[in-house]
Amino acid sequence: MKALVLAESLDGQRDLCAGARQIADEVVLAVVKGAPQTGIADKAYDVELPEGEAAENAVAGVQAVYDAEQPDVVLIEPTPRNKILGGMVAAKAGASVISDVASFDGDTVTNMYFGGLAEMKQKATGAKFYTVAATAFQPGEATGTDTVETIAYTAPAKALVLKGTKEVPREGADLTKCDVVIGAGRGFAEEADLQMARDLAAKVGGELGCSRPLAENVDWMPRNLYIGVSGLNLAPKAYFALGISGQMQHMVGVTNAETIIAVNKDQNAPIFKQADYGIVGDLYKVIPALIEKL
Amino acid sequence: MKIVVAVKVVADDQDIFVSGDRSLDYSKARQIISTYDTNAIEAAAQLAADNDGTVVAISASTTKADDTKVKKDILSRGIDELFMVADDSLETADSYATAQVLKGIVDANASDYDLILCGDGSADLYAGQVDVQLAAALDVPVINEVTGLKVEGDKVVVERTLEDEVEEIEVPLPAVISVSPNVATPRIPGMREILAAGKKPSSVEGLAGALETKVEVEDIKAPEMTPRKNEIFAEGDIDAFAAAVAEALK
Ligand SMILES: Cc1cc2nc3c(=O)[nH]c(=O)nc-3n(C[C@H](O)[C@H](O)[C@H](O)COP(=O)(O)OP(=O)(O)OC[C@H]3O[C@@H](n4cnc5c(N)ncnc54)[C@H](O)[C@@H]3O)c2cc1C
Ligand SMILES: Cc1cc2nc3c(=O)[nH]c(=O)nc-3n(C[C@H](O)[C@H](O)[C@H](O)COP(=O)(O)OP(=O)(O)OC[C@H]3O[C@@H](n4cnc5c(N)ncnc54)[C@H](O)[C@@H]3O)c2cc1C
Repeated sequence: MKALVLAESLDGQRDLCAGARQIADEVVLAVVKGAPQTGIADKAYDVELPEGEAAENAVAGVQAVYDAEQPDVVLIEPTPRNKILGGMVAAKAGASVISDVASFDGDTVTNMYFGGLAEMKQKATGAKFYTVAATAFQPGEATGTDTVETIAYTAPAKALVLKGTKEVPREGADLTKCDVVIGAGRGFAEEADLQMARDLAAKVGGELGCSRPLAENVDWMPRNLYIGVSGLNLAPKAYFALGISGQMQHMVGVTNAETIIAVNKDQNAPIFKQADYGIVGDLYKVIPALIEKL
Repeated sequence: MKIVVAVKVVADDQDIFVSGDRSLDYSKARQIISTYDTNAIEAAAQLAADNDGTVVAISASTTKADDTKVKKDILSRGIDELFMVADDSLETADSYATAQVLKGIVDANASDYDLILCGDGSADLYAGQVDVQLAAALDVPVINEVTGLKVEGDKVVVERTLEDEVEEIEVPLPAVISVSPNVATPRIPGMREILAAGKKPSSVEGLAGALETKVEVEDIKAPEMTPRKNEIFAEGDIDAFAAAVAEALK
């Protein structure tokens, strides 16, 4: 079996190649933006992208790799650019990309449905394209050769024009590496009130994250700090959910937390069914009291 | 300018229950507009208003979505006309199959479109693939994660927000654009809009041919939940709660 890995980040390239090795005996890597890493696949393709071009314009190059290699399965790092590049190649092959595959059992793969409310087992009837995170595989080493082939750039007929790029500075801690994470939700009435959550974080040696609405509908928190099905997936020792209702889409991101602690004023909030310790109360009273008593 | 917005109708996940055998029970769940598609509808309506345009909604749905309330909800949000294809085989249609059906609706009813907007991802699968598949089927450019858009002649200039950078991209029209929820805040339709929606044109048709699916669903089951202690304290018991938290943090 041959697997083609389409990856963007350095970690993604290495992790997906290592994972691909567990389900395939031949691993080929294709990278559009930047040069591919060597030593992690049996063959790597450097799909050329001229400086200043939108990555999506390189779809013909990715298609050329697919056509040349005829892989049995394509593993895609789930980034927005790859969703387009991988999706376009899948469409040409008359296939659907199966998203966010969490585990493999031969041709049957499992992913989440309704934000974790259910797990769905499914099978692609034709060509197999999966977006997949490194966590779907057992930890393993990537092995390979130094062979790199370059695919020359062919512009699409209706190209996108990249007019400018602005870097967004990363804010906040890398929550995936924290033992204690404090999650703030819509129970906070004002942005300034988040200071309370930060104070608790400081007290317990944790870092602050949030539910999606705090990073999106209002811009109180940076987008890279929200937890859940479309955000971060964490496994801290302790997770504090403060003013978070406990919707599945959020809770999926912390199912692997050792202990879940909840503060919510509504005793019927779903969060309490998923918490180890909870307190039914106003967070504006509970948090200061908790900081004082800890 | 002619704008099309693709709207998925899904079961309201607040009312989907897990049965004893871990299968999902949809019997209490109403049909609603997939959450983030309301943002796409709003973006389409605003773009049409700013550019002297019209906006039609298209949807590939099960027959459950052929419901007056859902259709009125779509049409009360600044949409001029709705074209729906409803067939129960669409229940488990994959993104390839869904896009083929949507392409059929576009070809038949809105082939003179300039722009098709899609939402960020549906509430059930959140695949973010229908937009790409639809663009491939129509052979037009596609871009996703769009947080702002401006029409400039026969192009749209979009702001695309990725995790660590923001891109400004010029997209030649016609095109498919998938917008992030941040792009626009959905309006809350008032009584007047809802009444007016009842008078707007909408059509529901069956599926023309058999659905060509590429993915077979074998099983859908709720996962086993991580067992939790569920020790819940009242606000007055803050001392006991703090003690439990302190113990857990050790
Ligand atoms: C496709 C899709 C993907 C999504 N992905 C994610 C995701 O990845 N992550 C995510 O978080 N969400 C996600 N969501 C959104 C998710 O469904 C919920 O809407 C969101 O998690 C709710 O955030 P919340 O709990 O902060 O707010 P709410 O649900 O509004 O809950 C606020 C809670 O605060 C409590 N409260 C209010 N005031 C106080 C007070 N003074 N003291 C104590 N408690 C108080 C209330 O009782 C309530 O329970 C997604 C949704 C969709 C459709
Ligand atoms: C029980 C069940 C099982 C399913 N199993 C699978 C499966 O195994 N694999 C699979 O690929 N799909 C499956 N589907 C179908 C799936 O829900 C979608 O119709 C399809 O796959 C699109 O993916 P998505 O929902 O993630 O849409 P996304 O690609 O996330 O949607 C992006 C945007 O495209 C537009 N859009 C999407 N669908 C429609 C639509 N029907 N009508 C109008 N606009 C739309 C919306 O603007 C939406 O915001 C299943 C559905 C059900 C109910």
